[in-house]
Order: sequence, then C-alpha cells, then structure tokens
Amino acid sequence: MEPTESRSRASSSPLLSLLGGLALLAVGGYLASGVKAAQGTVQAPPTTLIFSGGVQRFAIPDCIARAGDEAGREACRTVSQVLRSDLRFEIDQNQFVPEASMSFIAALDPDAPKFKDWESIGAGYLVITKASVTQGRLQVELRVHFVSSGQAMLQKAYSASVENPRIIAHQAADDILALTQIKGVARSKIAFVSDRDSTKDRRVKELYLMDYDGFNQRRWTVNNSLNILPTWGPDGRSLAYVSYRQGTPMLFQALLCEARSVANISGEKGSQAFAPSWSPDGKKIAFASDRSGNMDVWVVNADGSGARNLTSNAASEMAPCWSPTGQEIAFTSNRTGAPQLFVMDADGLNVRRLTQYGSYNDACAWSPAKDRGEIAFTSRIDSGFEVAVLDIASGEVRQITEGRGSCEYPTWAPNGRHLAFSCNRSGTWQITVSDRDGRNVQSLAAGPGNNVQPDWGVAAACPVG
Amino acid sequence: MTRQRTLFSGLLAAMLALLVVGCAPKRKPEVSTGPPPPPRTAIEPLDTGDVNKMGGEGVTGADVAGSGEGGPMADVRFGFDQSSLTDEARAILAKNAQWLQAHRDARVTVEGHCDERGTVEYNLALGEQRARAARDYLVSLGVQASRLRTVSFGKERPLDNGHGEDAWARNRRAHFAVTR
Repeated sequence: MEPTESRSRASSSPLLSLLGGLALLAVGGYLASGVKAAQGTVQAPPTTLIFSGGVQRFAIPDCIARAGDEAGREACRTVSQVLRSDLRFEIDQNQFVPEASMSFIAALDPDAPKFKDWESIGAGYLVITKASVTQGRLQVELRVHFVSSGQAMLQKAYSASVENPRIIAHQAADDILALTQIKGVARSKIAFVSDRDSTKDRRVKELYLMDYDGFNQRRWTVNNSLNILPTWGPDGRSLAYVSYRQGTPMLFQALLCEARSVANISGEKGSQAFAPSWSPDGKKIAFASDRSGNMDVWVVNADGSGARNLTSNAASEMAPCWSPTGQEIAFTSNRTGAPQLFVMDADGLNVRRLTQYGSYNDACAWSPAKDRGEIAFTSRIDSGFEVAVLDIASGEVRQITEGRGSCEYPTWAPNGRHLAFSCNRSGTWQITVSDRDGRNVQSLAAGPGNNVQPDWGVAAACPVG
Repeated sequence: MTRQRTLFSGLLAAMLALLVVGCAPKRKPEVSTGPPPPPRTAIEPLDTGDVNKMGGEGVTGADVAGSGEGGPMADVRFGFDQSSLTDEARAILAKNAQWLQAHRDARVTVEGHCDERGTVEYNLALGEQRARAARDYLVSLGVQASRLRTVSFGKERPLDNGHGEDAWARNRRAHFAVTR
C-alpha cells in the first residue's frame, strides 16, 4: 500500500485530503480487482485514478523503436508528440513530469524500467510506448505503470498504417484518460465549413472533416454550391447539413461510410430548411423552416415523417439545440424585438426566456455534460460578437472569448470540457478551441480561406468489409 | 473407459478455458506484478473504417442559379438589421414588377442577403424576411405569387467581400435571379 502513503503526504488541504482518501479507496479497489484477475476471473476496470495535489504525475518518456527500425523511429516521434499533446489537452500542465528532468536519470529500458529512478523525478505514472514497423504496418505497445509499485495498470497494443501514427497516439491517450475518469476526445472529429475551394467567379462553401486537433482535414462535399451548418448525428457516421445544391436550401444527411448524401430529409416541399439539430437518441431532427410563412422551429422524425411546427408565432424562430436529455429544446427568437435565447419542452410547450442579458444572443449549443446544465451561445458585446456560456440554474453568464474582431458559433467537445468556435481575430475566420472557462485558447486548422461553423462530434468507425 | 472419460473431460475443460480466455474483453486493462511481461493484449487495428479515410462525397451537380449577381432586375437594398422597404426600394420593385409583367414566362428566385455582421442563423432568418418583403411587394403590384420563390442566403454569399460600410450596404439586399 505504498502508493496511498505518498498520496496522503500530498494532502495539505481538506479538499486534497478528501481526494487522497478517494484515491486510496480507488487504488484499494483496483488492487483487489487485480488480484481477482490473477486468479482467472474477469476483472472490473479500475474505477478511478484520482490526482491528488499534483504529486502523482505522468512521465511520458520518448517512444522507443525496435532496434534498427528507421520507420519505427520516425513513427515514434509523432506518437510521443501527439500522445503528450492529447493528454495535456485534458490534464493540467502541472500533472506532467517535465521532459527536461528525464535527462537526469538513466535512459528508459522499456522492458525493465528502474522505477526508483522515475520516482526520484516525481513520476507517479510511467507511460511506456514501444513501436515497430513491419510491411507498412505500425505496431505500438502501450504500458502505464504505477511507479511506486511497478505494477502495470494498463497494457495495450495497437496497429495502423505507418502513414497514420496519430490515430494510435489518439487511442492511447483516450485509453490513458479513461483511467482518470475523463472520457477523452482524442478520437473525436470536427465537421466545419470552408470557402477555400472558391475561385474568383465561383464562391462556394464545402463541408470538411478533421481530427479534433486540426489534423487530417478532408473535404467532404464537392458540388460548388453552399453547404453549411453541419451537425453530427449521434450515430457518429452521419451529418445533417444544409445545402443549396438544388437551389433551395434544404436539409441533407451525409452518410459518411457510404460517401453519399440523402437529400431533403425533412421532407420540405418548395420551402427552406436550416439549422438542423439531432435529438440525442437520433430519432428526431429539430430545424428551422419558413414553410408556415415565416421562420419557425420545426421537428421531424429522422425518416422525414411527422413534421410539426413547435413555435407557431409571428416572430422569427431559429437555431434549435436539444438538451442532452432530449426533453427540451433551446432556440433563438426575436419575439421581444431582438434575438434572445428561449427554451421549450420538446413538444413545444412551456416556453421560457433564457437570456436576460445583452441585446443580441443566438446560436445555442447545449453542453453534453448532463450534470452541468450549461448552454454556450454567441452574444453581441460592444461592436463585436463573443462566445459566452449560460449556467441555466443560476442564470449567470460567463464570457468565453474577448478581443479584437469576433468569435461565434460555439460547439462543445463530446465530453463537455472544451468549446470550439470560429474567430476572425487574424483577419480570416478560423476554428478556435478553448477550455470551458475560456482558457487555453488556440486556433486550429489555420487552413486556407475562412473556416467556420464547427460541429464537434464522436465519429464511429465504419463497418469494414 | 473411466480413464478415457477423464481424458475427454480434461480436454473439454482445457478447450473451455481457452474459449474463456479467447473471449475475455479486449479493452480491460491487465494487471501484473513483478517485471512487466511481454504484451498479451490483442492488437487493436485502429485505422479501419475511419470516417475521415472513407473518402468524401462524389461530385454532385450544383444548381448554379442564385449566384447572387447580375440579371435583368436591380437589387433592392436594406438598412442595417432591417427588412422594411424604403421608398427607393419600392421604386426599384415597381420597375422589376414591370419587367416581370413584360416577361410573363419568367420565374424568379427572390434572394435575401445580409452583411457579415451578426450570427449565421440570425442572418439566415433576416435574409428570409428581406426576400419575403420584396416578394410580397411584387405580389401587391400584381405579379403572380406562384412565379416567385424566396431563398435566404443570410451572410453566406456576400456580393462584396469587403469589410466596411460600403461593402456592407451593397450586401444588405434582395436579389432577383431569373430561373426560367
């Protein structure tokens, strides 16, 4: 029970003591389940691994390639860099052993780590990666050890094309984060809209997909029209979006595994449809349509049947977003003379005003974290627009972005810990990410052209064969 | 016989044990004591079926109508955040109505456009209000409603890509695209 002692030592405040106590329980449970595993019964995954006071830190030494394996060495560089960056995205900086201090101890022997050395530089968890490349396939072994006991708490092996070391690092990061009770998003993807394919005479907007960190950007639509407002389906294999390719803006569904789109999924007849939002169970789509004569929020079954107007009102209603429970829908209405956020039950009843603040609020995005009750939105502040977050219970609003120009169109990371939005601080619009308090703002995808309307989702693998 | 049966049940037990081991969930972390053993975990192939590697949609035809520029009828302009018609706008619409009366086969898409200020969704709603205001006035001047269709472009396809008052004024407009 050495590890719990070092944890208790770290506890210098009541909160930390509590955390330390929890960690003790968690480690005890973990070891107990480990014993069972050794006896051959199926073990439960470790319930938790709680950081206490920054003492149990991660050490992530460089990935080690098989001797003489040049391709493996090359892949290793990317694996280490991406793995560190993925973990730092979710975990506070001070939970990592600085790479510089690893030079004070003997080089890692991945098959027989000297745990005392790692303990001496403050490592609580040692993350070992080994790589080899055989016939164009990269194989990476991952082990995470408790430094104090030397026990392996996680052991995995992954393979991918040697062209794709990032995907291995992303999966390894999510597997490590699972030990800390964080549902990682390193394998998640962001859909967005880019005008980079425009020419002088032809201004187009096409849908793109990219990894959550801005890499692997890929154009999805190719129709030289306007394709906007993408939103991930809960199945992770489809997007709903708006396309003007048939002249009238209507809802399309991109079937990502089949490389094709289905047109007019809301069954519009000559009217327009905008701003699709899937219900969390994927059975319904809320959207905005002018089919009753002015813009209202409608809901339709995912198969196009049963379309129903939820906001029969002379004002314009727009931009619906579902609550993560599926029981409510927030939206924008200008019924008070200016755009403000409202919320209603999913059947259209019980409408309440949400934003009492500011003169112009739009583009809601409800946090997928059910325990938080937060809605991100775009708000006019002075002469520009900024992203803000409303705490529904208290009505308090916190401003996420601030600065020259504007930021708009927020979307939540699938675990609710970060936000992505689009900012024009640099002169062009670019996808930008921050944590949920607005810290650690970084611009992604500084690709060509303007890159806007991000939607962050969990992508599922397509069936193979 | 007894020995055979023992042998047989032994084999069965071994096979069952193999089966159990074979079916153990892959994603469960394994715990070991002492020096780390060689990996016993199954290798997870990660890059099969990645939606980013499946290829995008094939080339699909675009409706090039609604390009937002040109045509026989002049644009109507709007004030900032406004969808009401000015006297100047009414005068232009009267001329457009004359053109439509003289070209009775023509069908027209009335496009509502906005300047770049404001949110994507609000501007799509505002563009729709502008298109509808222009359409309704043309109908009040005797143009058949069935010849007119409204489409909002919001701020998605500005006429002028500039970022100043002049560009914004040009972009706040209803445009009339003849589709037939």
